[in-house]
Amino acid sequence: MKVKGFLKDVGGASRVTKARQKSWENASKEVVTRDPIGEVARLLHPGRFEVTITEIRDASPTARTLRFSSSIGHFPYFYAGQFLTLQTKVGDSLVTRPYSISSSPEDTRGKDPFVEITVRKSKGDGFFCDYLYEKAKVGEKFLAEVGLGEFHVDLIRDAHDVVCLAGGSGITPFLSMAKQIKAGKLDVNLTILYGSVSEKDIILKDELEACVCDKVKVVHVLSGENPGWKGEKGFLTAELIKKYSAKDTTYFICGPQVMYEFLHAELKKLKVPARRIRFEVFGQARDITKFEGFPKEKADKTYQLTVVMGVHKETIPAKANESILVALERHGIALHNSCRSGACGFCRCRVLEGETFVCPNNDGRRAADKDFGYFHACSTYPLSDLTVRLPIAE
Amino acid sequence: MAQRKKYFDDHYDVVIIGGALAGLASALTLANKGKKVLVLEQHNLPGGVATSFVRGGIEIEATLHEMMSIGTPECPLKIRKFFDEMGVDIEWLRVPEAFRLVEPGLNVLVHPGDHGNFETPAKEIADACDDKDGSVYKKVLDLLNLCNRVYNSVNELSIHPMSKVMMLLKHGDFVKTAGYSAKEVLDTFHLPQKALDALSAYWIYVGSPLSELPFTIYAVLMADYLGYGSYVPAKFSHEMGLKMAMRAEEMGAQIEYGQRVDKILVKDGKVTGVRTAMGEEIKADYVICSAYPNTAYSKMIEPKSEVPEGAIQFVNAKDVGVTCFSVVLLLDDDAENLGIKDYSTFYAPEGLDTDKIWKNYATEGPWKYITSICTNIANPNATPKGSCIYSITALPQPKAWFGVTEENYDEMKRKNAEYFIEMESKRLGVDLKKHIKEIVIEAPCTIAHYTGAWNGSIYGYRHTMDDHIVARLQMGEKENYIWGLAFAGAHAISGDGMSPQVTNGRKAAKTILEFMEEKEGK
Repeated sequence: MKVKGFLKDVGGASRVTKARQKSWENASKEVVTRDPIGEVARLLHPGRFEVTITEIRDASPTARTLRFSSSIGHFPYFYAGQFLTLQTKVGDSLVTRPYSISSSPEDTRGKDPFVEITVRKSKGDGFFCDYLYEKAKVGEKFLAEVGLGEFHVDLIRDAHDVVCLAGGSGITPFLSMAKQIKAGKLDVNLTILYGSVSEKDIILKDELEACVCDKVKVVHVLSGENPGWKGEKGFLTAELIKKYSAKDTTYFICGPQVMYEFLHAELKKLKVPARRIRFEVFGQARDITKFEGFPKEKADKTYQLTVVMGVHKETIPAKANESILVALERHGIALHNSCRSGACGFCRCRVLEGETFVCPNNDGRRAADKDFGYFHACSTYPLSDLTVRLPIAE
Repeated sequence: MAQRKKYFDDHYDVVIIGGALAGLASALTLANKGKKVLVLEQHNLPGGVATSFVRGGIEIEATLHEMMSIGTPECPLKIRKFFDEMGVDIEWLRVPEAFRLVEPGLNVLVHPGDHGNFETPAKEIADACDDKDGSVYKKVLDLLNLCNRVYNSVNELSIHPMSKVMMLLKHGDFVKTAGYSAKEVLDTFHLPQKALDALSAYWIYVGSPLSELPFTIYAVLMADYLGYGSYVPAKFSHEMGLKMAMRAEEMGAQIEYGQRVDKILVKDGKVTGVRTAMGEEIKADYVICSAYPNTAYSKMIEPKSEVPEGAIQFVNAKDVGVTCFSVVLLLDDDAENLGIKDYSTFYAPEGLDTDKIWKNYATEGPWKYITSICTNIANPNATPKGSCIYSITALPQPKAWFGVTEENYDEMKRKNAEYFIEMESKRLGVDLKKHIKEIVIEAPCTIAHYTGAWNGSIYGYRHTMDDHIVARLQMGEKENYIWGLAFAGAHAISGDGMSPQVTNGRKAAKTILEFMEEKEGK
């Protein structure tokens, strides 16, 4: 082998060493801290930070909108449709819950940036929701994480015509989308088909009306007896959906769990391809014991849950019919979580010993994780005394 | 207030900052030697960029293109060997081809040879050049055999260093090519342009144009990929990180996720421990840092007065390597129905001139050299029937993104992603946009967010003639600026790539073991 001549060739190694030495000698002795890409990343993903309620207003006779300011001076510019989580201590419990953001992403960009959520009085089964609805006060602080989840329009993936199918408080992400479109910052045609029982159940009615424009249409569909109602009646059926759909439409669905199953069947009738249907995640299963494969005889059992964090260990009770995440929350043990639907994987932990049941609707685990007993605490339930390893958290 | 819980032991031999492949390779090596090891990873997963994500219930590979240095079970190469020694049992799937290269006037599919035999790729490349008399075949084969000799020398010399005279006698080709760029050596073969292009396609895997890339690195790259083929884990790159982590734990290492380290504590020029973002101070005699030395020396060492001037010069002399822009698609049909036949395609729509592309990679795009991967071709069971994973990637320089702000980030991402999808749709003859079930765009900020990498770089410090691997190896010992501190990651000696991270991690562990010996010696 010869490149440029024997002597030059064999001198190569010392030549490159000298070159490297020289480049070191010539280098500046100033400390450079400039990391522009890292800085933008930190603005986009600030992690958890404190937020304060600055305003509470009625969104319907049974729903309220809460506005928050940020302790870090800004909010990340989220995608309309995404949610935030709020964390706080209620009694001994450390509670984190996700709420769709009902304000526009553009509101994070003004002089006084804010985000809003809208909560509806629950039917007695949403204790944190009721807390926010009934007890939360202006000035109250929470730990928040803003801009989570995959439920948002993607201009590359989705059709230019979007039909939103909403039920109950499932309207909130769509209001955010409608506001952003109205502001001229999101270029899709949006039709919201919003199912309610009666007119008084409609939440955020005025704010929705205010968004109506060339590109935003809001259609209320009432299912109850409503004398004098001239609008659409009944359920969100295939026929009704078809009436408001373009040839190529992406459907976004957000509402109570029963609505998903119903709409799935209706959209099937219309032969909508799977990639044109986007669901918001389900949330925790209402009753895990009703799922196939859950051993009924264990439904009312309480087990010992031993939690290992680093070299620390403690044992708490855990009910078979409540997720491991809920057991931890009840005892004030922090575990980072967000979607509570098994999808995001924030609450990933590992079983060291014992038996569990994973909610089949909410199983977002990675294949290799399954092989090693990793689980997502929000969608996993104890079926025996358990030892689990958690990431250390404050 | 309840008493603060105690999560860590009072003292560790070694704290490893970062549980990506390099940090985990360090952890395995040190735990295997009976050292008390603590790994602190800021994310909630092991593996760093070697990871996967789940969308709509389907797991999708995040970054891995292919692993080098695996080899067959019968003739394992160094990464498989290391995993075998450590008991890390990974299900490897062989990637069927090396690559397809498409550029104006050339469309060539190249397969790897076996056990360091290069006849197959040489023949395929020669055929694409209309090689009538076999002269191109011979030249390509000569070049690849030269690469292989250099590759073998590098592997041997990394285990058994020897005197310069012995090196010249036993590793002549390695010595004689070390002082030259890949381009300088390639030029001596007088190859037709098409062959040269086919032999340049892999440049993106080391992210330096051939005129600046040391031939030594080029040789290792070519010999390993074309002579032995590449592999992927059956359960995505997450399988690799996870299994390394699990084995390290079995061997006694403590691994904690969600633990960002803010400070490396130093006293009188020696490491004393670390402090986490949660405020835990952890005592350790040694620290392996996977954060870039740029981050460590500018932000992490406490007190700042413990950062030697030489260390600042060290990072300032470096050229931070490429970052990544990747569009990952879950498509709603099988690869074959979409006309996707190849696992890995390099596409140079305006020709494969690495100097030109390098300049293009300094701009905001559109980028004119992309590499596409269809995971399902190597791993048919990767996703359910009726779907496949297709990713399109360019590796721009960090400075290409310096104009990106929180405000224009989304638009910048979308513009480039749309361009990629259009470009690939045209090449494949299928409208990919009509098949997108899920789309995830991994931009430089995504890398910076998940890994904390300096300027979102995934390639560490660029291999150049001024920062040559041979020089790095010769000078490495003098560059431990703080006693007890070693670095593991793409910014370490072996540079970028997933397989080299295992080597980088082992090297960092070796440095720590040498510190330990030195201490005992005193």
